[in-house]
Amino acid sequence: METIISVLVDATLITLVLALAAFGLAIIYGLIGVINMGHGAMLTLGAYFTWATTTAGVPFILAVILAALGVAIVGLLLEHIIIRHFYDKPFDTLLLTWAFFLIMTEVIKIVFGTDFRNVANPLPGAIDFGTIKIPAYRGAIALFSLLLIGATAFVFYRTNLGIKIRALIQNREVASLLGLNVSRTYKFVFGIGSGIAGLAGGLISPMLSVDPYIGNVYLVRSFFVVIVGGVGQLLGGTLIGSFFIGGAETIFALFSKQVFAQSIVFLLAIVILRYRPAGILKQS
Amino acid sequence: MTQRSEKQGIESAAIRSRNRFSEEKVAVIVFIIFALLPIFITGYPIYILPQYMLFGVLAMSLALLWGFVGILSFGQAAFFALGAYTMGLAMQTNFGVNSGYIGILISPLVGGVLAAITGYFLFNAGVKATYFVLVTLALSIMIEQIAVSQSDITGGWNGMYIDRMPLTFGTFGEISLFNDIPAYYAIFPVVIAIYVFVRWLATGRFGKILIGIRENEDRMTALGFNISAYKTGAFALSGAIACLAGALYGAHANFVAPSLGGVLFSTEVVVWVAIAGRASLLAALLGGILVASLSNYLSTITPDYWQLVLGIIFILVIVFLKGGVAGAISDLSKHLQSKVKR
Amino acid sequence: MSSLLRTEGLTKHFAGLVANEAINFELNTGSIQCVIGPNGAGKTTFISMISGHLQPNEGRIYYKDQDITKLNVVKRARIGIARKFQTPTIFDELTAYDNIELAVLGTDCPYSDRNKNINEVLEIVHLTNESDKPVKFLSHGQRQWLEIGLLLAVKAELLLLDEPTAGMTVEETESTARLIKHLTQEFQLSVIIIEHDINFIRDLNAPVTVLHLGRVLMEGSFEQVSANEKVREIYLGHGNANLA
Repeated sequence: METIISVLVDATLITLVLALAAFGLAIIYGLIGVINMGHGAMLTLGAYFTWATTTAGVPFILAVILAALGVAIVGLLLEHIIIRHFYDKPFDTLLLTWAFFLIMTEVIKIVFGTDFRNVANPLPGAIDFGTIKIPAYRGAIALFSLLLIGATAFVFYRTNLGIKIRALIQNREVASLLGLNVSRTYKFVFGIGSGIAGLAGGLISPMLSVDPYIGNVYLVRSFFVVIVGGVGQLLGGTLIGSFFIGGAETIFALFSKQVFAQSIVFLLAIVILRYRPAGILKQS
Repeated sequence: MTQRSEKQGIESAAIRSRNRFSEEKVAVIVFIIFALLPIFITGYPIYILPQYMLFGVLAMSLALLWGFVGILSFGQAAFFALGAYTMGLAMQTNFGVNSGYIGILISPLVGGVLAAITGYFLFNAGVKATYFVLVTLALSIMIEQIAVSQSDITGGWNGMYIDRMPLTFGTFGEISLFNDIPAYYAIFPVVIAIYVFVRWLATGRFGKILIGIRENEDRMTALGFNISAYKTGAFALSGAIACLAGALYGAHANFVAPSLGGVLFSTEVVVWVAIAGRASLLAALLGGILVASLSNYLSTITPDYWQLVLGIIFILVIVFLKGGVAGAISDLSKHLQSKVKR
Repeated sequence: MSSLLRTEGLTKHFAGLVANEAINFELNTGSIQCVIGPNGAGKTTFISMISGHLQPNEGRIYYKDQDITKLNVVKRARIGIARKFQTPTIFDELTAYDNIELAVLGTDCPYSDRNKNINEVLEIVHLTNESDKPVKFLSHGQRQWLEIGLLLAVKAELLLLDEPTAGMTVEETESTARLIKHLTQEFQLSVIIIEHDINFIRDLNAPVTVLHLGRVLMEGSFEQVSANEKVREIYLGHGNANLA
């Protein structure tokens, strides 16, 4: 019984952390249809910015915020210089964002070097719930993730601003004929998505050793999270997708090597993708 | 949905390509040069060139899929590595027949079957081309990780050593491939043969149908073509070729490690093919050889800056030069031809 | 004359909206049938069910007395049913020659006859001199004819033409009527045409089926249909004063 609870707790924590990591992509891919292959690089960049600022003495939370802003700016530059010309060509944006990943990774290697970096855990220790011990930082991140996703979903689905943004995106042609600023809205969404990716990278950084490729791991996972959950379903989709990809991996990892667990989950995700391209909940 | 050709011209893949004859002429010249090269150059370049040629074949396998059908795969290197590991395992067997031949025979089957199963599963359901890219990316990661984890079979991170096979001719004796020159002249004809075969397919009925699918799937379906069968066939063929190239690479380099099948290498192949020109098999072949050799040379000097430059060229190609270098040359020659006609 | 195509009680609805209801339709080999009706009458839905792009909710389709209701698009194309879509669905970046060649590759035409067959079709659709440039550069009328050429090249027996004269000039429309009559006579082709252009339908001099709100309103000759009160009403009532 105890093990079951601890497995579930573990799975939940991992689900929420993965949800945080995938959320930036869920926004960009889900709302404006850009297949952002640079998502992983944005996570990595966020981690490095956080490392750099905390090493310079900036307190952790501020560092993470700065990292998010930094990555948002990078994302906006990418959007402004290149991506905005290719919104109608998903294949091209796929390749271009991939090129962004290649270039950004090299820049990171040049600027920061390839040694592993460590970001100090701002909340060490664990919270004791009797039978279960939850690492304090992980717990905090998981909670934050839930709040962030919930709040963002609230903004996009319940506030006027969010409704306007979604309406505009769904009816691009009409909106632009009406003189509404479509390109500014797209920029806004791309910037937010990038910023959240940077934020996630920063927040996750204390939990791993930072190297130029940490974002990679999350790239494919994030895509599967979004696809399995259902593209465009920011709240439920991200959470369900994350539970499937992250939580299932944890559970499988109990029975086999970590590597196999991940491969099995990928295979399952591919199967789901084939049978339910609109997300695991929807009949296509 | 496949990626359509666009104004900036993947025209070199047009069916009744008048350029066809000039590509063949260029190919002959290039192959003659390569055939004569060992006479003028010795040492490391001759040692390493067959491996670059095999990278070229790998690039060509992607060009077949991407240039002709319009399907992008980020997983070609996975097949390449699979081939190398297959050769490695084959060389460990002892069935009385030349183990190398076993590797050469089995590897395209392994690649072809794996690709066929994956392709059938996905294309039959009409999975979107963009999702297909993600799936091949995921497969790349999976194969790299399996190669790492199954260390008793594959040697894990440390890789696997592969014996160099000899060329045996039954009772007529054998030729050792231990030295550079015999190895060069053993692999080089195979590369030509693969090129000729794929080119023959691509300019014939099969290739034309693939182009039709790339250009307008709905129309092809309405004309009675089973497009998912053709896509699966193209994917199977490209997987088989990549796998065979990998097996030969393994036989030549005598070593394979998981990174050979990983994401980085897979996507590098995409970059090579994009820059060289995805619709031209010869361009992909040469592009693979050229970029691989440049990469290797510059890696030792400035690895990071070279990758950076490559990435920037990649972006420039996607934005401005859709058909790659080959497309640009083709457009230019057509432009000049039309000027001459006046 | 034998029955080539027959539908019985063909019905299609989309989430509560009835697009086609209990349509009984018959076409004999070598004949032309026009299908007309105001926008939203269900004409394209009907054609889509015959070509296999949509599956009916109820009803059956018989082709050469075989029940083909469950066959998919590819299989129907292989037994001789070919469709020309509302927007020309051709290979824009390829030349006319290449376009027709692809269709020919879909038949069991031997390699030696390929070139001849392609050129024959190009000649029928008057594109012999334009066969060397990408078809996106052809005029709209030429592109419509190219698509018809594709259907000929693939040796179709039942042609489903969805608004073949849309966007054409008066001369082109007259030529198209002549072309279609010629094809039915010369090659024993059978044709179902969705059209709005009254002069074209008159030129064809073929029987007409009128669809309205998913049902067959009436069938008859052009004269009978154009004189019919109800038919005039549905056109004028919808603001489509085509029938003068």
